[in-house]
Amino acid sequence: MTDAHVVGSGIVDFGEKYEWSFDDLLEGAYLDLVESVDHGINPTADIDAIWYGTLDIANEGSSGAAVAHATGLFEKPATQIVNACATGSDAFRNAVQAVKAGDIEVALVIGAEKMLDSTEGLIGGAALERLWRGRGVTMPAFFGMRATRHMEQYDTTREQIAEVSVKNHENGTKYPHAHQQFECSVDDVMESATVSYPLNLYDCCPVTDGACAVLVTNDERSREFTDAPVRVAGYGFSTDSFMRGDDLALTNFPASRQASSMAYERSGYGPDDVDVAEVHDCFSITELITYEDLGFCEQGEAGAFIDEGIPHLDGEKPVNPSGGLLSKGHPIGATGVAQIAEIFEQLRGDAGDVQVPDAEVGLQHNIGIGRNATGAVSCVNVLER
Amino acid sequence: MSGPRYNRTRRQDQRLVAFECQSCDYVSFPDEKRTCKRCGDAPATFEEVQLAERGEIQTFVVQEYLPDDIEVPQPLAIVDLPQADGSGESARVYGLLTETELEELSVGTEVVARFRELFDDGERPINSFKFSVPREVKR
Repeated sequence: MTDAHVVGSGIVDFGEKYEWSFDDLLEGAYLDLVESVDHGINPTADIDAIWYGTLDIANEGSSGAAVAHATGLFEKPATQIVNACATGSDAFRNAVQAVKAGDIEVALVIGAEKMLDSTEGLIGGAALERLWRGRGVTMPAFFGMRATRHMEQYDTTREQIAEVSVKNHENGTKYPHAHQQFECSVDDVMESATVSYPLNLYDCCPVTDGACAVLVTNDERSREFTDAPVRVAGYGFSTDSFMRGDDLALTNFPASRQASSMAYERSGYGPDDVDVAEVHDCFSITELITYEDLGFCEQGEAGAFIDEGIPHLDGEKPVNPSGGLLSKGHPIGATGVAQIAEIFEQLRGDAGDVQVPDAEVGLQHNIGIGRNATGAVSCVNVLER
Repeated sequence: MSGPRYNRTRRQDQRLVAFECQSCDYVSFPDEKRTCKRCGDAPATFEEVQLAERGEIQTFVVQEYLPDDIEVPQPLAIVDLPQADGSGESARVYGLLTETELEELSVGTEVVARFRELFDDGERPINSFKFSVPREVKR
């Protein structure tokens, strides 16, 4: 069986892109990708299939045909993937599986979301339409409940949680595509407006539009496009529910543990081998818990892990050099694809001001809420140069 | 918010009726389905159990930003409600709280389920339980 390799990536700057249509976003990421391929690409001839990640929050119509129209890539199978906030990652995983299976030689993976067209709908839906179980639970509440419990159970401090946001905003100022380009202090985070106690405004990712694309191909074709392909060493995807009566689930994300175990096993790498990681930090507490779920530190020790500066850009294991969702933004369908694109750049030494020196193994992690279950889906990919 | 969705679990919501999986002892609330959401038993055998009105907060938040229809601040907790007869496992339940100060809340706080109007659906009230901190527990 062939390996799958990433051989190109394209992105539009994340941000408030109200003036951009959905097609503009897709076109932008796609053209940036086409121009990024080292040895060039003839897209209509070379691309065999398309996987399109979007939750379609802006209600633009559910079909892979949206990419066909936006890019001009007709007469090819184009599939829309929807898998909560892990939508982009799952689009990538499906393309990787098709390439590895030998059914497809060159796949375009593209993710896009217009979040700002329908913000009220998203919050209103979460709060009102789930009376049967959720009883007015919003996203910050779901994650905030884990923060409360983590602080109680492991003496994690509010300041340690805030440090995640400080770190990621600092990284974001150095990453050209980030939505929010400002630095903040622990005090700034603690003094920002309360959204859902114990989480404040700067603990939450912004509402962001964006799109991102990567090109995936097999062993044989990879050298046609670049001398420096990035191999997909392993992947894992899992589902879970907050409502399983699992005590531990109040302080971790079981699906992340399962997905990362699968990815580690498939790749032959473990958490100690990871040189750089892009992880899901929709809220500051999410990243803290993810350190533990991915095995970067023991359960309950995430607070000390960040206190010691380990996940900082100049630390032993840099996490979210791109600024993460907290600074870069979280256009749902694009998020996982953008994380892959960042790891791709890191492993090729193309990451500019946020480059981690000599990164050889990179990890990407993306979780989502489904049906009122925090971290109900989780995807982990391990890549190597 | 829709009527049918609410009505599907109305009896459970209003009477605190839960369902115990006979394979793994998981107590499901308010769902009674044909598969178990913990052990995956399919088909599962559930037995109805009555939950106690009094339970313990496992974790909580206080929501400050919500749609206009919902009052803020809105405290919300995950509460373990034991079975009324003291047997078996507790049910893990999401619930809004009645007027409660942040200072009154902590992991481990005892709360009691009270029947209240949750939301106004425009034309009709949606009733279910909310949790409150009992007077004797209030500091």
